[in-house]
Parts: sequence; C-alpha cells; structure tokens
Amino acid sequence: MSTNLAGQLAKVSAPRETARAARVSSDPSKHIFLLPAVILILLFSLFPLFFSLVLAFLSWDLSRLTGGVRFIGLENFVTLVNDARFWNTARVTLTFVVGAVSLEYLVGLGVALLLNQDVRFRRFFRVVFLMPMMLTPAAVAYAGRMLFNEGQGPINHIIKLLGGPQVPWFSNPSLALPSLILVDTWEWTPFMMIVLLAGLQSLPPEVYEAARVDGANDWQIFRHITFPMLAPVSVTVILIRALEAFKLFDIVTVMTGGGPGTATEPVTLYAYLVGMKNGNLGYASAIAYSLLVMVIISSTLFLRLVRQRAVQAAE
Amino acid sequence: MQVTMRQTRRIKLGITYLLLAIWTIICLFPIYWLVITSVKLPVAVFQGPTYFPWIDFQPTLNAWKYLLVGPMQNQVVRSWLNSAVMAPTSAALAVALGSLAGYALTRFNYLVPVLKWRNNDIAFWIISQRMLPPVVVILPYLIMYRVLGLVDTHAGMILIYMVFNLPFAVWIMRDFFANLPRDLEESALIDGASRLQAFRLIVLPLSSPGLIATFLFCMMFSWNDYLFALMLTFSRATTMPMFVAGAGSQSYGPQWWFLSALSLLTIAPMIVIALLIERYITRGLIVGAIK
Repeated sequence: MSTNLAGQLAKVSAPRETARAARVSSDPSKHIFLLPAVILILLFSLFPLFFSLVLAFLSWDLSRLTGGVRFIGLENFVTLVNDARFWNTARVTLTFVVGAVSLEYLVGLGVALLLNQDVRFRRFFRVVFLMPMMLTPAAVAYAGRMLFNEGQGPINHIIKLLGGPQVPWFSNPSLALPSLILVDTWEWTPFMMIVLLAGLQSLPPEVYEAARVDGANDWQIFRHITFPMLAPVSVTVILIRALEAFKLFDIVTVMTGGGPGTATEPVTLYAYLVGMKNGNLGYASAIAYSLLVMVIISSTLFLRLVRQRAVQAAE
Repeated sequence: MQVTMRQTRRIKLGITYLLLAIWTIICLFPIYWLVITSVKLPVAVFQGPTYFPWIDFQPTLNAWKYLLVGPMQNQVVRSWLNSAVMAPTSAALAVALGSLAGYALTRFNYLVPVLKWRNNDIAFWIISQRMLPPVVVILPYLIMYRVLGLVDTHAGMILIYMVFNLPFAVWIMRDFFANLPRDLEESALIDGASRLQAFRLIVLPLSSPGLIATFLFCMMFSWNDYLFALMLTFSRATTMPMFVAGAGSQSYGPQWWFLSALSLLTIAPMIVIALLIERYITRGLIVGAIK
C-alpha cells in the first residue's frame, strides 16, 4: 500500500547506504536472517489488508440472523458517501490531526529551543519532559478527565481563583475536541521535543558564530538559520506524528466516548462501533478503508507541498 | 554598555528557567494529581479540588486496599500479571527477529524478484507497515483469530504484539548495526565461523545497548496498547489498559479515587522505563533511525 509513501519519505529524509558493506552476498544463510520477520509481517499486513478490502464489498451483518454473507459490490461505499455521521467523523479526525500535530510541533520546538541552551539540570529536564509520551494513553485519559472536570477539576478551580469563567471543557460540543487536542498535546509533545532537540544539536556551530559576528539578533538567527536548517527534521517528525495521530482511539474512547453526541467521534471509533457493537463487518471495513485512503492522500499532499516550498526556496 | 549586555543575558536566562519550570510543572502535575486523588476518600473527591495531603485533606489508603487486598484484587492482579508477562515476552521476540532482519539488511544484498526491490526498498516497506492504522486490519485479525482459536489467549496476544513491534525493531536495529564496526566479525568469518555464529557470539554482545533500548521501546508499545486488547480479549488475557479503560463506566459515575490508583498501577512500570530509556535516547539511537 504505502511503498509510494515510503519512497517519498525516503526522498525527503536522507538516503542511507546499507548495501555498501554487503560483501558476503552469496551466503545462503542470509534468508534465515531476513525471512522470519518478512513472512510474519506479510502474514499480518498484506493478508488482512486484502481481506478487509474484500469485506468492504460484502454484506456481512452479524446482527441479522438471515442473509448471511453476500457480495454487494459498491453498496457499502455508496452508503458511506451519503452517511452524514461518517463525514462528521472524517472532519473530527482531520481537525484533530491538524490541530494536535501543529500544537505539538510548536510547543515541542519551543521546549527544544529552551533545552538547547546552556542550562543546568539538563538531564533532569529531559527525563521529566520525556515522561508523558511513555505513559499508557488509557490512564492519561483518566488523568485528563479529572483535571478538566468542570465541577471538581483543578484546572477550572485555578481559573476561578484567577477570576476567570468556568469552562465547559467536555460538555460543550465545540470545546470537547480542543480539550482532547490539549490532552494529546500533553502526551505527545515530548516526541517532537526530543527529535527536534537532537536536530538542533546536530546543526554546525560555525554558522551561528558567523551570524553573531555579522550582528544578527536571536530572532533573525532563528528565522534565517535555525528554522530553515531544521526543516528536514521538522518534515519527518511532523509526518511521523501525523501518521500516529490518525490512529487516535484510546484517548478519545476513554475521555469522551465520541461525545457529546458525536462531536469528538473519530473515524476509528465509528468503524469500531459499526463493526463490533452493530456487527456490520462489511460497512465497518469500508469505513476503516476510507481512513487508510485519508492517511495516504493527506501525507502525499503534505509531502508535495513541502517539496514545492523547498523548490521555491531554492530558486 | 557591558553591564546592560550582561543584564540582558541574565534576564534571558531567567526567562528560560522560568519557562522550563512551568513546563516541568505541566509534565508532572497530572501524575501528582493521580497520586493525591488515589489517597483521597470518595467523599473528599466529590467535594471539589484539594491539593496537599495533611494540609487540606486527610490521606487514606482506602483505594489501594480496595484494589490490592479488597474485592478488586483478583481482577487487578490478573490483568497486571497478564500485561507483565505479555509485554516483555512479545518485546523480546520482536527484538530477536528484528535484530536478525536488521542485521541481514546491513550485511547481505537482497533482490526481491519481480518487484526489483533492494535492501533499502525492503527496509522502507517494513517501516511503512507502521503507517497502517490498526483499525483497518483489526476485523480480519479477529476473524483470523476466531478460526485459529487464538482469541483471548496469551499466545495470541504475544503474537500480535510481536508482529506489531517488528517493523520498529527491524528499523532501529538496522540503523544500529549499520554503525557498528565490522572488523571483529569479519576476522571471525575469516577464521571459519558461520554468519550465525559471528552474529550470536560477536555482534549481539557488542550491541547490547541497542538491544536493550529497542526492547524497552517495544515493551512500552505493547504495555500501552488498548485497541488490540479490546478487540481480541475479553476475560482470561485482558491487559491492564483494557481493565483501566473499562473500570470507569459505573452507572453512578466514574469513581476517581480508585481509578487514580488503578491508573498509577498501569503507568508505574512505564515511569521506570522512562527513567531507564533516557540514557539511550541521549545516545541518539532513536533520532539516528528517524533521520
């Protein structure tokens, strides 16, 4: 499925030499090394991928006693196109991905810039800043629900002490998704931070010294040197994080269950509900497949946009 | 002039530390909140937020007793042990197969017939499996597992977690082996050792930092999973995240006092892993693989 995508990723990130040192290539044991992993991955990816594509063309409804399994052609996809609830889940997923990844990138870059300076206790800060991404999302979601709890939560309490209004974080449909984005940002900013920090540390110091000698201020250095030089790492990290964000399931299931109403229901949760709760396997597969299409289209568009920008900048 | 320059630098440094302190509080406060809520009485939780034990509320071990020696004991112990067995086992298997494949991709030349793929194409195909949203393949897994009788078994969960982690393990170990000096294994090969012997006796011992780091990451992914456990288990092989996620659906509202303790039991091993793993990230292992 995503070899095209992988190829594009390969072009954006630096290509790596691996074949160079492969001198003993006729050794027959080479298949013993590689095949177990490849066969398992094939078995658990290509076969299910094909299987669920087939499912998407079937009527297979566990909740109906009669009918059994029937081939119905494109009927599931016709239903999908006319399903307002599906289009809402697509909107929720895309809003979530764009919102969460942008916020995580901005905060992650900010924290990385702070840590890239000559500060003390750097090790301590790294451990603490890394912590959130290691923690189980289902548990993080509970912590989020408590913290944002409208009556008993500390966040509203502190806002009240500062004289602010009581924010209906989860009961207001238009605030529920931003609240989810905040919780996801808490959990995943560390990933952005740690990769961007490593990127910052690998930039050559001579350029900075030259800019300082020329009298550039901090903002100019960031705007014209750091940020452009960090671009390849930024593109990679944003893409990786976006691909993960499309999988959003744990946090939303535990925090809002898709509510209020369907205001925070992502495609993943809808597919799960249709497949598992309603037992409509065919339609659930069609929904799930549409997510895959969304992932591939958005990442391709993103990479194309980045490439265009890079070409423009070079000209 | 000199003085003002030094002053601006001190102000800048002060702002840096202030922002770092704020982010530290943001990172730690949710964990702190779980800890203090887990030692509150049910009534105390519903009376509104309190912040400091012994100062604005009286701590109690009520929730912990309820979970560890009370009515929930069986479920808690079973789910925790399930996770504690399945996560490391699947991680170890993923690292074993992943390091074999990762090593192979840096030392041998492959050419996939028909597709004309070489080593780099194979590696990108493997890592691209991580892009696939699990929800797309979860229904076929369920049907496959029903047929094979693997639903709600430890073996089935270990298998799925291993395969799920395999692309990551291959990718990281491939990067690690690419940067490993080859003199030692090559002299062993000249002395008549087979590839497998050279791999097992020379390459693996040299790679223990990479192996440990990859193991810890795979274990974290397996431990934290919720979707696979939700779809493929229901009682015998349920995991801790699955148990936690289901524990909040009481008809009389979520019971934060014991949910907090339960969440802490879930994340405790991950906090330990975070402390262990920081060293390896410092070495640039993960970042090297991403670049």
